Amino acid sequence: MAGFEDHAVTRETNPKIISNARRYTGNMVVAGVLYTVFVFAGAYATRIDDLPRWALVVAALAPLLPALLMLRAYVIFLNGIDEFQRRIQTEGVLIAAAVVGFGTFAYGFLEEWVGLPHLPLLWVLPALIGVWGVAVCILRMRYQ
Amino acid sequence: MRNRLKVLRAERNWSQADLADKLDVSRQSVNAIETGKYDPSLPLAFKIAKVFGLPIEQIFSDDEVAQAAE
Repeated sequence: MAGFEDHAVTRETNPKIISNARRYTGNMVVAGVLYTVFVFAGAYATRIDDLPRWALVVAALAPLLPALLMLRAYVIFLNGIDEFQRRIQTEGVLIAAAVVGFGTFAYGFLEEWVGLPHLPLLWVLPALIGVWGVAVCILRMRYQ
Repeated sequence: MRNRLKVLRAERNWSQADLADKLDVSRQSVNAIETGKYDPSLPLAFKIAKVFGLPIEQIFSDDEVAQAAE
């Protein structure tokens, strides 16, 4: 009967799941490195005098490419997990969309009508990713 | 929905990880199904039935039907 008990803390042993997680980590690391390079290069480019406007636009939009690579990595990861894990992930995304969507909507009114400090739109995506991460952790614990 | 996954697994001396490998799902998924926190899709339920070599209705039962039988 060894090993029959519930294994709440046992690590995954399925090679397919492990390789999918490793591929996701690898893809995210590559995208993360590219993102860092593009952000620093973009920030440097904005300090160059007399840089044409089109070049500034390119520098400003360049970090979007690695961000899209991160999205691609996540979609590949989603397609490689089982239906229960996919449910946790999609619930996490829905919670993040609701929290950040309604949070920014409410803050927009507070900003316009009450005079709260202006927050750049740049923070919406990081907020989505952050809330999604926390939501997935909570959901995992709930289903444990 | 109720299921007899834990009992059937015990009869075969399989760990959750063993069953997860046979079903090609995560161990956490097996745990969630066993504890009734997640109801599997029909294709996964059929796969579970195939792994145990039993008809699906001998593994899964409706809550109300199971309560009425008790």
